[in-house]
Amino acid sequence: MQYQAAESWGAAYAAMGGRADPLERVERLAAESAVVIFSVSTCCMCHAVKRLFCGMGVSPTVYELDEDPRGKEMERALARLLGGGPPAVPVVFIGGKLVGAMDRVMASHINGTLVPLLKEAGALWL
Amino acid sequence: MANHRVGETGLSDSGPSSQPVAYGVHGITPAATNFFDQEGAAYFGELEEALMQGVAGMRNDGDRKPFFTTRPPTLEIFPSWPMRFQQTPKCQQGNSQPAESTDSGSAQNTISQPDSESPGSVKASSEQSSEQQQQRMMAGDAPSAEAAAPNHQPKTQDNVLFRRVAGSTAEKDGKILDAKSLRRLAQNREAARKSRLRKKAYIQQLESSRIKLTQLEQDLQRARSQGLFLGGGGAGGNISSAAAVFDMEYGRWLDENYRHMTDLREGLQAHLSDGDLRVIVDECLAHYDEIFRVKGVAAKSDVLHLITGMWTTPAERCFLWMGGFRPSELLKILIPQMDPLTEQQLVGICSLQQSSQQAEEALSQGLEQLHQSLGDAVASGSLSEGTDVGNYMGQIAIALGKLADLEGFVRQADNMRQQTLHQTRRILTVRQAARCFLAIGEYNSRLRALSSLWASRPRENLIADESACPATTDLQIIHQPVHSHFSGF
Repeated sequence: MQYQAAESWGAAYAAMGGRADPLERVERLAAESAVVIFSVSTCCMCHAVKRLFCGMGVSPTVYELDEDPRGKEMERALARLLGGGPPAVPVVFIGGKLVGAMDRVMASHINGTLVPLLKEAGALWL
Repeated sequence: MANHRVGETGLSDSGPSSQPVAYGVHGITPAATNFFDQEGAAYFGELEEALMQGVAGMRNDGDRKPFFTTRPPTLEIFPSWPMRFQQTPKCQQGNSQPAESTDSGSAQNTISQPDSESPGSVKASSEQSSEQQQQRMMAGDAPSAEAAAPNHQPKTQDNVLFRRVAGSTAEKDGKILDAKSLRRLAQNREAARKSRLRKKAYIQQLESSRIKLTQLEQDLQRARSQGLFLGGGGAGGNISSAAAVFDMEYGRWLDENYRHMTDLREGLQAHLSDGDLRVIVDECLAHYDEIFRVKGVAAKSDVLHLITGMWTTPAERCFLWMGGFRPSELLKILIPQMDPLTEQQLVGICSLQQSSQQAEEALSQGLEQLHQSLGDAVASGSLSEGTDVGNYMGQIAIALGKLADLEGFVRQADNMRQQTLHQTRRILTVRQAARCFLAIGEYNSRLRALSSLWASRPRENLIADESACPATTDLQIIHQPVHSHFSGF
């Protein structure tokens, strides 16, 4: 699991210049790694989804929104994206594409579509 | 007029013996209705009327002695009072006993009804005999009072007056009653009648409540013996309304599921076509979707009820995981029942088992972290010294939030169960799926039977004879597929 530190991320962002729309940022971040999880450090369900991927041998990239200065905006953007109310986290992107919240991830895993998706994104090898 | 309310002290609910005593007080009737609830008031009203006769009679001789001289057989209601009675003549005794019996016949109507309603009612029965006597006496008085040509007599300032009344031989000598007395008598009659009606209504109410209560108890007994799914929650006493509603809906779901199981069994035995069987199987699956939906609703209001499994039977509760069955466990049980499976099916089922295990593990770890943070929140600050109120409230708020998060976990667990059932359905053929669902039903039914047996098992301190009895009847439970009780879904 790789946690992106807020400072280095912020610095890189500042280098890019300009103020991006939170949703755009989310999507950009999601595209940077094979498996991306947006999480909140105190959320237990987020902990569960992280354990799920680790248990499968996948190493996801985790962004803790409560440790990000602009995390609040991103959380709201994610909530809008999912079409539901709070909590917006955890949200999982695989191969840059939105998978969804915990229930979608679970359903996808049970019906056998998650593993092929992971393999396709290069996060999982046989 | 000095109205001496002697009755207050004496006229309690003492059992009347043979005959009534006329005992009343002027002007007490309106107050008596409040004062003695139901029975005393009626009693009073009639007594007072009878007393009026005595008052008039007393004025004749101007004897201010409040007591009668002779002592007839009377109700010994006030044994402390000197029971000296005077024969008081009643003027209007044109109708004596024959009239009484006919009048009392009509008056008895009001008595007979309480008879039919509440033979067991103590108050009614104790009052009946006295009331009957009073009725008769009053009935005798009533026509006589109304027929009276009022002979005006000066009212004396008498206090308590006794009048001899022998119930069957009411000798009402010539009585002279003035207008005021007549009016008062009428009022008393009215009040007495009203209180009698009230008493009747009250008794009726009591009786119907009693019947309802026994019916409820029977229903409860039946429900308990059948399913035990009221089990701990009901015994606990404090069950939230959402939990009670869920328990009820779950009960209904069980009954409906039993019907589906029967359909499946008959469908398999009848060797229905795949198409027909598919309909039944899909119905069964849809019914499982229904219980997950209901559970989702219940989780919003009372997740603790779900997660503690108080809606299931004790044996099922043993296997409970996050408010329901553990999918990987169920699959482990089902795989041997699914034979024969094609290789592809076997691969599918095994990977399903593996994924469900991984998902269960993840959710369990998430739940464990929830427990941890909940415990930390509750234990924050010093537990042995005084609490810092500000911090305490903050931590309580966090703890409440964690409890609310439980709902998410139960929802995810149910979601997983639902997905597992659907995926199983997809992998198997129609026939295999039918047998599979039947197997699930039977397994849970046996768990329920196990709960019943466990509850009724002989304890060590019972007599040896008793231990033989439950076994035979309980074994029948296992072999009957009648009670299709299912474990927590």
